[in-house]
Amino acid sequence: MIIVLPIKEESEKSIVSDQLGRANYFYVYHSENDEGVIFKNTFLNENHGAGVKTAEFLLKQNADVLITPRIGEKALEILLETKVKIFKSNAKIVKENIKDYLNGDLEELY
Amino acid sequence: MKQLLILSGKGGTGKTTIASSFIRLAKSKQFADCDVEAPNLHLMYKKGSKDSKPYYGLKKAFIDQDVCVECGLCKDHCRFNAITDDDGYKVNPFKCEGCGVCGYVCPANAIDFQQSTDGSIDLYQDNYRFSTGSLKMGSGNSGLLVSEVKKQLQDSEGLTIIDGPPGIGCPVIASMSGVDFILVVTEPSMSGFSDMKRMIETIRKTKTPLAVCINKYDINKDISNNIKDYLYENNINFIGELPFDKEVNNLINQSISLVDTDNPVGVEIKNIYKQVIDLM
Amino acid sequence: MQIAVLSGKGGAGKTLLAVNLANLIEGSTFLDCDVEEPNGVFYFADTYNKEEVYTKIPVINDHLCKHCNKCVDFCRYNALIDFLGKVKVLPSLCHSCGGCQLVCPHGAIKEKDELLGYINYTSVRDHKIFGGELRIGKETGVSIIEKILAKANTNEDSVIDCPPGNGCSVMESISDADYCVLVSEPTVFGLENLKMVYDLTKIYKKKSGIVINKAVEDNGLVEAYAKEIHIPILGYIPFDKNLALSNSKLEMVSNGAFKSYFDHVLNRIKKEVSI
Repeated sequence: MIIVLPIKEESEKSIVSDQLGRANYFYVYHSENDEGVIFKNTFLNENHGAGVKTAEFLLKQNADVLITPRIGEKALEILLETKVKIFKSNAKIVKENIKDYLNGDLEELY
Repeated sequence: MKQLLILSGKGGTGKTTIASSFIRLAKSKQFADCDVEAPNLHLMYKKGSKDSKPYYGLKKAFIDQDVCVECGLCKDHCRFNAITDDDGYKVNPFKCEGCGVCGYVCPANAIDFQQSTDGSIDLYQDNYRFSTGSLKMGSGNSGLLVSEVKKQLQDSEGLTIIDGPPGIGCPVIASMSGVDFILVVTEPSMSGFSDMKRMIETIRKTKTPLAVCINKYDINKDISNNIKDYLYENNINFIGELPFDKEVNNLINQSISLVDTDNPVGVEIKNIYKQVIDLM
Repeated sequence: MQIAVLSGKGGAGKTLLAVNLANLIEGSTFLDCDVEEPNGVFYFADTYNKEEVYTKIPVINDHLCKHCNKCVDFCRYNALIDFLGKVKVLPSLCHSCGGCQLVCPHGAIKEKDELLGYINYTSVRDHKIFGGELRIGKETGVSIIEKILAKANTNEDSVIDCPPGNGCSVMESISDADYCVLVSEPTVFGLENLKMVYDLTKIYKKKSGIVINKAVEDNGLVEAYAKEIHIPILGYIPFDKNLALSNSKLEMVSNGAFKSYFDHVLNRIKKEVSI
């Protein structure tokens, strides 16, 4: 399973970003091998449609789950048509969010 | 850090007055003005050091007259009527939306796209941290600028208060990201009421908790009552109403904070503030 | 004569002034360009006719699309996305520039009409009334505003209620005006926004004057600024609870007790335009 989170800093110890499309980085976690890769958000400074580009990124990463504090209307419109499930993050760091999700402790946003 | 956003839908409902009163009551160390098309909060908090960064919008077309072969293809293809040929082919920067079509159709490669400064991102620091920005006139989209203004906020103790943009468009959506609570200020007029409904619809999509207060409620008590009924039926917190008072503008012009006086509007703002804090 | 009424800040009294000036000018056309908050028309009538306004958005033919993504890369507004082997259009982000259709090497993109909003129009007594309405979720109503402005006959008198703020749609709405009326409240906030719209009228080298709305005993802030930039104060609309009540019910206050204030402003404008 592939889980994606928007994050603030380029580190596994980062907390989850409070923005999705305009997060600094994305953390892409593969549960099969318990490994995560950090991607820089290249659409951060787009004038239009940063959320749309983020949704596109999630699809390219073949994500199954998105963990985020909130999601914009346009990204949501796209993701609702896909298999991606959207869960609400908690205030803890990335690893804790993933653990909580796997334990079923996170709430589904949509 | 807890963030409180103040919104209104319609402009001129008293959003900034309430925001500045809240800043005072909360002894807030950090606040922001996201109304980048018509910022006002800086008129009250411009002490201390100021850092300004340019804000760049979409790149706009620029025609190099020396290279242009005057074929007119760019003008024919521009859907925004941004290209004129009165005195050589020129781009009107206020109309150009930076779509890139003219550059694509130009056979002479005479058009290039240049970064334009569409506004500024400002930070005032004194014994507070105040983030704001302003959009240059004629520059369309301000959602990105609002995000930039919000990015200057840090994790801090206490309450961060954000004066939001008017309307329900892109800048408003951008201002909502990451906030913990939204206070909607409305006024009892047909337009105030209909804008408030559109606003609430927009907020509910983000699932952010909210409450509503009415400013100048006694100007039209019938509409005020209709607003309250609407909020009750839709299960939305109604947390107070401010009377119409001519004295308010005088106090603001003299830079006196309403909540430092025994003005009835100031007294009610304190009451609303208390309820917001309880709800948060 | 075409008069444009504008204010930087919402709630300053722009619509109040515009509808009442139009009401007092016999045979005038009223053009409400505030398409995001279309209230002006309702001062004149409860019912009106609707004309649909369309914009063009792309439609992708999935059979012809080779998934080369040239359109996705070209679109500056990110209105097209690569959706797992298909290209998907997001109409809410599309600016209808037509670029995607131009760059598609396979002829897979056609455009179709999409409803952007409406023009609302009616006639009341000797007035023609036009307003516009942008559909919720649409980003820009500039093309609706262009269509409303095109309804004005340049030989006849018209009053334009401009959108708030200082965006491109305001520029559009004052571009043909003979005179700009700047509405301001006598507060520090009002003044700040007045400066903003005044700068805008300067770009187009328009003649302008100020109306102080919600006027109190001391309106010195705005008066001093008017003196500084050498433009006239056209008149004062009082800060009055009864006026506010009538206006909140969309009543035409210039038909009643407050007529003289608007007459005064109108006479001043006529004088200024003739200079």
